Amino acid sequence: MLDQDAIRTAAREAASAVARRPIKEGQRLVTSGLIDSLSVLKLISLLETKLNVSIPPETLQPEDFDDVDLIVETLERVAKPR
Amino acid sequence: MAFNSVSYLLFLCAAVAVFWLLPVRLRHGFVLLASVLFYASWGLLFVWLPLLVAAIVYFCGKRIERDPTTAKKWMWLGVVPVLLLLAIFKYRSFVFENLAFLLRPFGLRSNSLATTIAFPLGISFYTFEAIAYLIDVRQGRVKMPGFADLCLFFFFWPNILSGPIVRARELVPQLRFRRAFEPQFVFDGFDRIICGLVQKSVVANMLGIWVDKGFASSAGMPSTVDGWFLAVAFGLQIYFDFAGYTNMAIGAARLLGVTLPENFRQPYHASTPPDFWARWHMTLSRWIRDYLFFPVNAKWRGAPAPLYLSLLGVMTLVGLWHGAGWTFIVWGTLHGAYIVAYRAYESWKTTRPEADASPLIGSVWRVFTLIGVSVAWVAFRAPTLSKARLIVSAMLWHFSRGVAYSAAFYVFTVMVVVFCAFEPLVLRILGEIDEQEGSSGLSPLRVVGRPVVYLFGLLLFLLFDQNNSQFIYSQF
Repeated sequence: MLDQDAIRTAAREAASAVARRPIKEGQRLVTSGLIDSLSVLKLISLLETKLNVSIPPETLQPEDFDDVDLIVETLERVAKPR
Repeated sequence: MAFNSVSYLLFLCAAVAVFWLLPVRLRHGFVLLASVLFYASWGLLFVWLPLLVAAIVYFCGKRIERDPTTAKKWMWLGVVPVLLLLAIFKYRSFVFENLAFLLRPFGLRSNSLATTIAFPLGISFYTFEAIAYLIDVRQGRVKMPGFADLCLFFFFWPNILSGPIVRARELVPQLRFRRAFEPQFVFDGFDRIICGLVQKSVVANMLGIWVDKGFASSAGMPSTVDGWFLAVAFGLQIYFDFAGYTNMAIGAARLLGVTLPENFRQPYHASTPPDFWARWHMTLSRWIRDYLFFPVNAKWRGAPAPLYLSLLGVMTLVGLWHGAGWTFIVWGTLHGAYIVAYRAYESWKTTRPEADASPLIGSVWRVFTLIGVSVAWVAFRAPTLSKARLIVSAMLWHFSRGVAYSAAFYVFTVMVVVFCAFEPLVLRILGEIDEQEGSSGLSPLRVVGRPVVYLFGLLLFLLFDQNNSQFIYSQF
């Protein structure tokens, strides 16, 4: 079971790295055009490395990573420890 | 009943008036009836097609929800027949024509039975909505509604013909029509409808007269200047045509208190080829991203070789979605090549951080995008590939004396280009005026000023109505 604070910190750091600017809570990433679907793929890879989990992508859409809250929610739903 | 016709405007006003006079519980049934009548006005024969699509989605969707272990199987059992319907009605002739071409050396002839069936309007749009619906049910993003709700989702008259391509989760909840009437619905709705009418009837149709002449099979090779003017004029024509249609669709929905997603965000201000697709036909781009590009690339996490191949493949399919013809395939593949070039540059740039700083590179990509998009429009509009090749080679080098068109063509095209250049500024000013008006409630400017603008727009539409033609995207 992943710690929610750890996921949130990792999500904010990974999103900031992919967007190449600091990301605030609630800031839209995909629907605002800040990052595109390719960057979402990079974001998934970063999250997998940071949290040592695997994220099966079959049931995901880019907007599942639209802000930090959604990233946390998505990871809690689909991420599996490696 | 075309959106740009007096009969449609009368239908719209009558339907909206009745809608708001009815009690909430009757509105759903009324809009469904009005939507079916609207679609039937284009041809009674094809009303059964959206019904069949709704039945397939309903049948398979219920089974997907019932048992997660067989959900994948039922999703495909729904997606495949929907795709088959699209293939039969849209690509049949194309397949048979190409088969005939391939079989000719062997002395065999392909049956031309395919060419006798008419094209059902909106099929490319509602089949894509159906596929998205099935995938979303499988992913647990939406619940299956009742069959009548599903029928209204597919038949909803503002967007059945040419989109915007809507997700079930953003439209179905709104189709319960529980919102109370607000004057803002009327202002928003008529703003968009009048704007759309002027975009289509005045700008797109005017440009269309010259574009049709230049792209006609009988037209000779244009000069270099005329070739570029034709390419730019068609790029503007299709933008104002489709954006005009979209404004009318969004406006009609707004009059019923429903919000449809936007489809355009000043596409000719794109800074890169992917940025163009983030601004052009945004709901199609979103569909392609969510249901095709992302799932395919998620497996390889964006590794270069599969990424470039999938970009080319996906954009070729986007071309094919627009029309069953080689010109559309070339158009889509060209866009795929532009995007691959940009992604390859991006990938190279990450290995050379010092290349990041140059503003010149940004300008080069901006110009490349505009030129690339314009060249690709030639393939899209030309009746044949040889005609497209002729115009593109003229754009490269064919200087000749004299001009083939009246001065009005060149002046009008330049005027529209200048308007597009200032479009973000115009929209910002209009947005600020709207915000001020909104905060002052029903101000005199709003109650008197807007109807005057609407009347002026309607007059322009009636004045230019003799040049009226079908919306380009209604053929797709």
